Amino acid sequence: MKQYLRELHGSRLILSALVSRDISGKYRRTFLGQLWSFANPLTQMLVYTFVFSFVFQVKSMKGDPSGLDSFALYLLCGLIPWTLFQSSVMGAIASPLANVNLITKVYFPRMIIPMASLVSTLYNSGFEFLVLIVALALAGSMFWPLLPVALVIIFLLVSFAGGLGLLLSILNLQFRDTEYLLGILFQVWMWLSPIIYPISLVANRSAELGPIPGTGITLLDIYSLNPIVHFVTAFRNVMYDNRMPSAIDLGMCALWALVSLVVGFLTFRRMDSRLAEFL
Amino acid sequence: MSGEPSVVVEHVSKNFRQFSERNQTLKSAVMRGRVSRYRTFAALTDVSLRVREGETVGLIGGNGSGKSTLLKCIARILQPDSGTIRTRGRISALLEVGSGFHPELTGRENVYLSGAIHGLNRAKVSSLFDEIVAFAGVDDFIDEPVKNYSSGMYVRLGFSTAVAVRPDVLLADEILAVGDVDFQARCLARIEEMRRQGTTIVLVSHDLHNVAQFCSRAAWLDHGRLVEFGESRKVVASYSNSYRAGA
Repeated sequence: MKQYLRELHGSRLILSALVSRDISGKYRRTFLGQLWSFANPLTQMLVYTFVFSFVFQVKSMKGDPSGLDSFALYLLCGLIPWTLFQSSVMGAIASPLANVNLITKVYFPRMIIPMASLVSTLYNSGFEFLVLIVALALAGSMFWPLLPVALVIIFLLVSFAGGLGLLLSILNLQFRDTEYLLGILFQVWMWLSPIIYPISLVANRSAELGPIPGTGITLLDIYSLNPIVHFVTAFRNVMYDNRMPSAIDLGMCALWALVSLVVGFLTFRRMDSRLAEFL
Repeated sequence: MSGEPSVVVEHVSKNFRQFSERNQTLKSAVMRGRVSRYRTFAALTDVSLRVREGETVGLIGGNGSGKSTLLKCIARILQPDSGTIRTRGRISALLEVGSGFHPELTGRENVYLSGAIHGLNRAKVSSLFDEIVAFAGVDDFIDEPVKNYSSGMYVRLGFSTAVAVRPDVLLADEILAVGDVDFQARCLARIEEMRRQGTTIVLVSHDLHNVAQFCSRAAWLDHGRLVEFGESRKVVASYSNSYRAGA
């Protein structure tokens, strides 16, 4: 294990070379270049705002204590972390197959490949977070003192995504269906997370229904098994509501990140030296 | 030349599974209850050899004899099922055409990526860059994506990069079969030069003449087994004799 970690550390140069390759290659030969990374969050924001604020006339979500009152910003505070999560996992899963020519020709610790994919995904979504920060600041959100907390939450979210990506990329080499199946599961997962609607609606329904007969388990408890609930709630608490997230949410974020990272790391390491055979 | 071997291969075996029904999709895994049908193909069986530091060793044998598999195991691209392989120093591998170039990147970017993979930082690659490009003779195309390269240019840049990183051990698979006559001559001259500088070289070749001439020793593989390992002229002779007898 120690030797593997040393080998990974010794491959820093490869990591940075692969990351700069991914970044400089992504918008190559496009006219707008890196501006494309703004297109996705802006489009989603416009479409969801039109549907939910204009057509459905959802009441805005008032930030407590920030007093912020904008559905679009509320939405972005959930959507951008979610998009980071989803593209991190999907990118990591696709990365071994996208680098067949390296894996079958030269040796280096294979884990560098999904790691490089994670770093470049993070870099690209940096632009989306930039859009969010500027928009929130303009709207008068006072998240600045808590910004370090938001960065910790993002770090934990990336760790959670990274571990999951490592685990699933191995699964995908054995069963190529994984990638397609996940495309569908991620859609379901998103709607089971408080991104487009507030968790308070789920809490209300849960209170109305009461616990499952004979147990103390409520709908909200089951709903909260979804790790993303905690990440989104905590991030939104900071950025939109401008308050410290609950210890439970932060603790769950850390716990999920750790579990995912350990399982993903160990699984990938076991297969690392045999990866070329599965391509 | 110290007595420490550069490459030690001990009792290495490598099997491949030839799947007649492989469960690479979830459906087939479920339908057959995860039972894959395959037969095992022994690519290498109990191969042991030692390559001394500074030595040039040729691997010869028919198609499918395990030469390339052995080279890939030494390069750590494949992992042996049993046995161990130890190597000393920086390894540079030239396997088949191109040594891990990315088609969308330019020649320049690929040289830097390749350098990073061999543990050289940007400054170090920059200092070697002119030499690499000059030797490959691709000056005019260095900022073109390598997918636009002719196969000759591709191979030349690959070879040039692989030798420029000053490996302690160079592994080469059929590099002399590509490129034009002029480049082949320069390749051989370069390999000769590296050998004089003490680089350990393991090469796979079908060109028995070259093996006899360039390699101090040769290993003859047949169906994954080491038949003979010794002085190159002798091994080449017995290999060609057996071939003639068999044919």
